[in-house]
Amino acid sequence: PSSPRSFPPTVTSEQIEHLHRRFKQLSRDQLTIRKENFDSIPDLEFNPIRGKIVHAFFDKRNLRQESDGLADEINFEDFLTIMSYFRPIEMNMDEEQLDRFRKEKLKFLFHMYDSDHDGKITLQEYRNVVEELLSGNPHLEKESARSIADGAMMEAASICVGQMGPDQVYEGITFEDFLKMWQGIDIETKMHVRFLNMETIAHCY
Amino acid sequence: GERLGAMQPPAASPGPAAPAGAELLRWQWREVQGPCLVAAWILVASLAKIVFHLSRKVTSIVPESCLLILLGLGLGGIVLAVAKKAEYQLEPNMFFLFLLPPIVLDSGYFMPSRLFFDNIGAILTYAVVGTLWNSFTTGAALWGLHRAGLMADPGVEAGLMDFLLFGSLISAVDPVAVLAVFEEVHVNETLFIIVFGESLLNDAVTVVLYKVFNSFVELGPAHIHATDYVKGVASFFLVSLGGTAVGLLFAFLLALITRFTKRVRIIEPLFVFLLAYIAYLAAEMVSLSSILAVTFCGICCKKYVEANISQKSRTTVKYTMKTLASSSETIIFMFLGISAVDTSKWAWDTALVLGTLFFILLFRAVGVVLQTCVLNRFRLIPLDRIDQVVMSYGGLRGAVAFALVILLDRAKVKAKDYFVATTIVVVFFTVIVQGLTIKPLVTWLKVKRSDHHKPTLNEELHEHAFDHILAAVEDIVGHHGYHYWRDKWEQFDKKYLSQLLMRKSAYRLRDEIWDVYYKLNIRDAISFVDQGGHVLSAAKLALPSMPSRTSMSESSVTNLLRESGSGACLDLQVIDTVRSRRDKEDAAMHHVLRGSLYKPRRRYKASYSRHFISPDKQERQDKEIFRQNMKRRLETFKSTKHNVCSSKSKARLKEKGRKKASAPQPPAPSLALSSEAPNGKTHRSVPWQEAAPVLVMVSSEEEESDSSETEKEDDEGIVFIARATDEVLQGKTTPGSLDVCPSPCIIPPSPTLAEKELPWKGDQADLAVYISSETTKIVPVDMQKAWNQSISSLESIASPPGIESGPQHRRFACPVLEEQPQSASQVMSEQSSCFQFPSHVSKSSRSQSDSSPDGAEQQELQPLMATEEQSKVPPTTEPRWLMFNRSSHL
Repeated sequence: PSSPRSFPPTVTSEQIEHLHRRFKQLSRDQLTIRKENFDSIPDLEFNPIRGKIVHAFFDKRNLRQESDGLADEINFEDFLTIMSYFRPIEMNMDEEQLDRFRKEKLKFLFHMYDSDHDGKITLQEYRNVVEELLSGNPHLEKESARSIADGAMMEAASICVGQMGPDQVYEGITFEDFLKMWQGIDIETKMHVRFLNMETIAHCY
Repeated sequence: GERLGAMQPPAASPGPAAPAGAELLRWQWREVQGPCLVAAWILVASLAKIVFHLSRKVTSIVPESCLLILLGLGLGGIVLAVAKKAEYQLEPNMFFLFLLPPIVLDSGYFMPSRLFFDNIGAILTYAVVGTLWNSFTTGAALWGLHRAGLMADPGVEAGLMDFLLFGSLISAVDPVAVLAVFEEVHVNETLFIIVFGESLLNDAVTVVLYKVFNSFVELGPAHIHATDYVKGVASFFLVSLGGTAVGLLFAFLLALITRFTKRVRIIEPLFVFLLAYIAYLAAEMVSLSSILAVTFCGICCKKYVEANISQKSRTTVKYTMKTLASSSETIIFMFLGISAVDTSKWAWDTALVLGTLFFILLFRAVGVVLQTCVLNRFRLIPLDRIDQVVMSYGGLRGAVAFALVILLDRAKVKAKDYFVATTIVVVFFTVIVQGLTIKPLVTWLKVKRSDHHKPTLNEELHEHAFDHILAAVEDIVGHHGYHYWRDKWEQFDKKYLSQLLMRKSAYRLRDEIWDVYYKLNIRDAISFVDQGGHVLSAAKLALPSMPSRTSMSESSVTNLLRESGSGACLDLQVIDTVRSRRDKEDAAMHHVLRGSLYKPRRRYKASYSRHFISPDKQERQDKEIFRQNMKRRLETFKSTKHNVCSSKSKARLKEKGRKKASAPQPPAPSLALSSEAPNGKTHRSVPWQEAAPVLVMVSSEEEESDSSETEKEDDEGIVFIARATDEVLQGKTTPGSLDVCPSPCIIPPSPTLAEKELPWKGDQADLAVYISSETTKIVPVDMQKAWNQSISSLESIASPPGIESGPQHRRFACPVLEEQPQSASQVMSEQSSCFQFPSHVSKSSRSQSDSSPDGAEQQELQPLMATEEQSKVPPTTEPRWLMFNRSSHL
């Protein structure tokens, strides 16, 4: 496969080869992957937010394309683009790079939450996410999820806006607010996956 | 208790041999000597702690462990001067059997397990490879020094094996010392967990090396065969894995036992300590690594034990564990100091001492750098140079090494005295010099500190999202990495382990997000109550003379809430027209007094039970006050609920009730009260709230399972859910009717007489134009445990007979207070279906307290009273929902 421009130099060609092998595995030797292809991954089945994650792979905002909306299928280059969100930090990154890196990762998460692409996580969207997160526990009710989402939203409002005037309305978490909420938390340490030892790749088929 | 028992002299002499007649009193020092000395030492150490902490300056610079060692040196010196011989020293047996277990249990039980397992690779590497490296290099280098003839003293008779033995005991980083120093330094959590985890896990290596070399020394170098080396390696695996297995086994047992302690809550904490201690002894008995056993027992049982035992037991466990660990630590350091005074065991060799000091520092640093080099190729977050410096420098030696060196057999290890002296110097050097300098070093190097921000709900949510995303990405990539296995383990745990080890009631609600949410709620509620919970702020009402506790905490959430909530007091809003200042003050005072004064409502029988702790009077009062505060809090919440305001405490109240914007009635859906506000300020729309007109269905399934759930009882909690319906308030609502209306849990304070009779009451005419109603239901869903514990008295409130089928189901009802009742018939309407009290009932009720002379006009329902009246409440068709209603019929 051609080496995609967007992919960081730190990923070795060997890793890309591994990823490509996996890509072909998933796409059944097609050039593109469709949503249905993800259904064939057995381990993914129990993931409570699997829908959102798979969705993120087809989200054009994450694919760094100009347009908005959802792609029907993604090619290998897109696949790599998505994967690049999960690459670990480098020892030699400077402050600015780190900052960009951090924003990129957060953007990915933000897009996952902001399902209607309006640049804001509204309460309803947040509730959906929380409901999905909690869906693993059949004993917790939707109501609980809602109240948690409500609480989180209130908290977000208090973090981002501070004290609000009586007439003020908090419509949703914007990306700036989102960054604010993440201040002081090491996202770099949280959102990455090691693709290195690809020898352990599971052969699902 | 355990320690005292063990210290008792086994054969106390039975007193004077030939009693000369009857004795009035007898001096029995010999009988009590052992326990008495132990108690006295603990007392001295604890008092010393108090003295140290009198000066914050000293303790902020000098670690407590240093001070304790110095104190020990002083005390030891005094004892030596008085008794002419050293009476006391740290006995290895006492140390290993009684002093060490509490510390290890404490560190295992409160170990941040997620962090620990996230870094387990690094921790294991440092613990195993690092300790091996340190032992061998230090031992070999000292031997080299000896061979080079640098150790002048002829008494140092030691071969390679002796030095390796010494190396093995001197090279292990000590958990007690590390914990004592690092807890005060506050480095970032990754660094802390690596150093600390290493100090705990290296025990297995130390034990094995120590035993192996000890036996080699005993055998003599000539008799060691190749198979002995193999045995040594094999015993390492046996000791470490065996110790871990013992720990896991006991963790399992412990979790299982606590699952069934529901009826004997009072001894729940005991099980935790007993089983952990038995695990320690069991591992010790078969010479496995006992530290590993207790550590893993603590780490693994915590999740299940905490879920099973009651809140009070949890607190008990926590404090007892901390107390035991802290006093053990105190004793250990003090006795280290005392033991050092005993010069009869010392034999000094300068080259050996200096050599050891130099080598342990050097090889520790080299070892850390080499291992980090390798580890960083695998770690996602590399350890940078500064981390490595702190890790090297933080390798403190402590009491374990000292106890081990004391245990050496002088007949076999001829240089024992030299080793003892060296060990003491090394321990003192690391604890005092390194302990003193590590804080400035950390500051100077600008090591990333841990930020102790309070957990936020958002953070927790995002972290869970991350976990799932990472697991999913690994699945998609097909890489079975760390996240994959963690995810698998969590699924396994959820499916089988938790189900087996947790009470059903606990298991059902087991969720980390929920836990955080719940804890935050409790925290807010407590801080709210701590502040006195006055919602009717004195300042706001311009009553300077008003005594108010709240004034003390200006930065509090509640204050924010108070300030931001413009409409905090409903009743004033209603009549915020013309009002004389005096009237205002009167009214305000009335409300404040009414709301703030504690009025006991219930009498309890005094009872005593050794096996159950009954809520004492203070607690009951607390509860009632708490409830009152909650009530008031709900008021504020209501009045400001239309705007998202910064107050977290408000946020925590789960607020569901929304009036629908599209009320069918011509009168606007807004509250009657708000209709009066000139600019409609009270009625603010918050889009995201409107988005979800809330419905509250307590699924009947849930209810049923609840009632069948026998374990429920005191672990039941409450969720507030409100539902808004709009129903027109008929001019007359019959007492039994279900059209319940009104706003969510707002309890406007009762109007004063003046308020009712004053001319501006005429406003009611205008108000009456609007009929608005809103139903709020508060339904307990399942917020568990602590809610219930803190407000458990609420449970009794007002469950209408209809619900009695599910007796365990808790309900929370807010007392209802109507705004401006005009007739007796309306009064009826104000009550929710649960609260329908015919007027005669309310009149007769003893809690009826209010200012209104005609009870029919005004009613204030106190929750507790409701209970008592419960039986009189007519059943309703939909009782399970309607916990609380308020109608304003204007």
